[in-house]
Amino acid sequence: MVFNSYTFIIFIVIMLVLHNLPLAWKTKKVNLLIASYIFYAAWNPPFVLLLWLSTVVDFFVGKALYTQENPAKKKLLLIVSLIGNLGMLCFFKYGAFLLDNFVHLLNLAGFDFHPAKPNIILPAGISFYTFTTLCYTIDMYKRKSEPVKSMLDFSLFVTFFPHLVAGPIVRPPQLVPQFETEHKATQKQLFDGLLLLTLGLFMKVFLADSMLAETANSVFSTTDKLPTIDAWAGVLAFSGQIFFDFAGYSTCAIGVALCLGFVLPQNFNYPYAATGFSDFWRRWHITLSTWLRDYLYIPLGGNRHGAIKLYFALMTTMLLGGLWHGANWTFVAWGGLHGLYLVTERLFKKDKRLITVNGTNISEEKQSNNNFLYAFFTFMMINITWVFFRAGTFAQAGHLLESMFGFAGNGKPLLTTLAIIKVAIIIPIMLLFQWIMRNTSVLKVAYKTSWITLGIVWAILLLFIIFAQESGSSFIYFQF
Amino acid sequence: MNQSSLKKATILMLCIVTGIMLSWEVYLRNTGITPSYNDDSPLWANQRARVYEAPDKAVVFIGSSRIKFDLDIPTWEQLTGKKAIQLAMTGSNPRPVLEDLANDEKFKGNLVVDVTEFIFFSDAPFYAKKPSDHINYFKDRTPAQRASFEINHFLESVFVFLDKDQLSINAKLNALKIKNREGVIPPLVFPLEFERTNLNEQAKMTTTFVTDTSINNKVSNIWHMLMSGPPPPPMPDSILLSICTIVKNNVEKIKARGGNVVFIRTPSSGAVFEGEKIGLPREIFWNRLLKETNCKGYYFADDPVLANMICPEESHLSPQDAIVYTQQLITQLNETNILHSSTDKTN
Repeated sequence: MVFNSYTFIIFIVIMLVLHNLPLAWKTKKVNLLIASYIFYAAWNPPFVLLLWLSTVVDFFVGKALYTQENPAKKKLLLIVSLIGNLGMLCFFKYGAFLLDNFVHLLNLAGFDFHPAKPNIILPAGISFYTFTTLCYTIDMYKRKSEPVKSMLDFSLFVTFFPHLVAGPIVRPPQLVPQFETEHKATQKQLFDGLLLLTLGLFMKVFLADSMLAETANSVFSTTDKLPTIDAWAGVLAFSGQIFFDFAGYSTCAIGVALCLGFVLPQNFNYPYAATGFSDFWRRWHITLSTWLRDYLYIPLGGNRHGAIKLYFALMTTMLLGGLWHGANWTFVAWGGLHGLYLVTERLFKKDKRLITVNGTNISEEKQSNNNFLYAFFTFMMINITWVFFRAGTFAQAGHLLESMFGFAGNGKPLLTTLAIIKVAIIIPIMLLFQWIMRNTSVLKVAYKTSWITLGIVWAILLLFIIFAQESGSSFIYFQF
Repeated sequence: MNQSSLKKATILMLCIVTGIMLSWEVYLRNTGITPSYNDDSPLWANQRARVYEAPDKAVVFIGSSRIKFDLDIPTWEQLTGKKAIQLAMTGSNPRPVLEDLANDEKFKGNLVVDVTEFIFFSDAPFYAKKPSDHINYFKDRTPAQRASFEINHFLESVFVFLDKDQLSINAKLNALKIKNREGVIPPLVFPLEFERTNLNEQAKMTTTFVTDTSINNKVSNIWHMLMSGPPPPPMPDSILLSICTIVKNNVEKIKARGGNVVFIRTPSSGAVFEGEKIGLPREIFWNRLLKETNCKGYYFADDPVLANMICPEESHLSPQDAIVYTQQLITQLNETNILHSSTDKTN
């Protein structure tokens, strides 16, 4: 079930009614759990079994990991959990990719091996709930937090429908305590939740689907070389589309959870206003980047063992982060490019620190202007990475980069004037809005405005959603 | 802002949205527009799921847009006692749908294939995109999408403004017809009066459209624009043969399961028909198709009643003429097994 469908509107209305009835807290939690399974089964019912398997195995293994004193047995339990979770992810998400590469290697070695293509359907959200359960067992292994006492609370933590399919990726301490005591939305939370839900749908339905998707799809599906303006318009459209699509989903998820009285962690914080690449990763898909930091980068050594090991940890984290997004080498290249950016930035920041020590005096205004230019530079560099993220092959990415930088000769015009105008209006507004908002939040601003302005703006958002008439399309991150 | 202000903001938002949407709906209804279903993948998939009905109970139609206008489904169902399952798609090649049905072992029914030559005999990926999208949607449909379709089509039957092709923001922006660079293919913008789509996928011209030649001309100009430009090089015989062979193989798969396949050529008129006769001559394309597939075919120009039919915009029939066409089509199909499947014969 997707948030941008009429089915979901009926679903959430029923849930809100049930959640506000005078029922026992345990009954409400059971309602939420059943609803979450229905929400998930609405894609492909048999895959609920995978969710159950993952939940049951990790609940019991997590408990055993926490109480086990024997180090060897403890390690064995952790391995069981890792194999269970990552094995499932590998089979469903990377099975065909691994086989493809294996066959390619055999063919290169001279073996004539051509097995049938496996027909594996990717269960929705498997990458997200695998990371959710993985962090629990790793925390239990390290005794970072207490094991969840009740199977019901643990199941709800894994399955809670707002975050289940595309995050935010939650950690047990963020959500489990909220299930332990009765939670019902206050009137303020309900208003906040509805406002965020409207904003998220506006981002997804109007901006991503209605205004930008077609332009991005046209440019990324053509095999022709393009004029520079078409290539850039397509890439900028995708930059906007992926942000509005994914941040829109996260905003909806946070809003829906809030309507029920639960608080989910923030997942986006105006990433295109980032000044630098490490700042970008503090603002883009925050719950994934912190997950990768805590469960991959730091265990790999982080910044504690010298520059070489730091760069190795950084690159490995970004390459694997790229692979997490999809079973294709283009995603690895996307992660690798981000890794290179981060390494380069660290090298430059060392020099910058030296300049500060030498006492260069920059006025605040000039610094702010420089920051804006740096944010713009960061955004433009991020655009280049999106080419690898969205292109299906390296050849396609290469063609597009050639077109973007004027090496493609006279390409055939593809986009309508209207499509280019849409990009030329939406992307600068998006950048400016994110720059202005980078140190605050929508809810804070909403509370500062008068009720008349808020009512009018809210109505405009809703009217754009209705007039866009783009219901039911899937979110991009579902495929990851 | 306190809670009372939040309430006020919410109430104001609801009042503005309800007021604007109601006014828009009333305005549209006052202009005489009736509700129309979005001709999209969910609507097509809903029809596609019906093809498993017994052959003596239903006939499946595939094609491009012409048969959607020209087959009057109530007339068909009244005169034949069989359901008409309309799987034709606007601006699309029916060959991928034929292949999909041929490869579906559960489909054992009777099929009528409408041929619009310049689409049917084209290998342009553009004409195959919509069929491919619709077929994939049908195959991958989730329970949530089925439920959403039920809600959507109920709402679309009630509200005129829920017409994505004509009344969404993008449709309105496209209608501005902003000048494009040379070589860019513009979106085709049809007047709102041109057609309304029913739940059974039948498309009908509005009364205003049928009677207003200035609106007719807007659509016929689109056809002329599509047919303008230098003629493509003649299709090599090997390509034509390969297309016919693929069609033949698919037809034989359906026949092997007890089904029947008939080809029809629905009417066009004026400059469009003249252009089609020159661009894709009947003798080379239509006759070859029937010969290679060994199927019966009915070309509208062979029927004295249909031969001189005038299409308001030269390519599709008005609702009144669609009734006449359907009656004649039934007379023609009575000569075939399409309307007399084995179950009928035993009865």
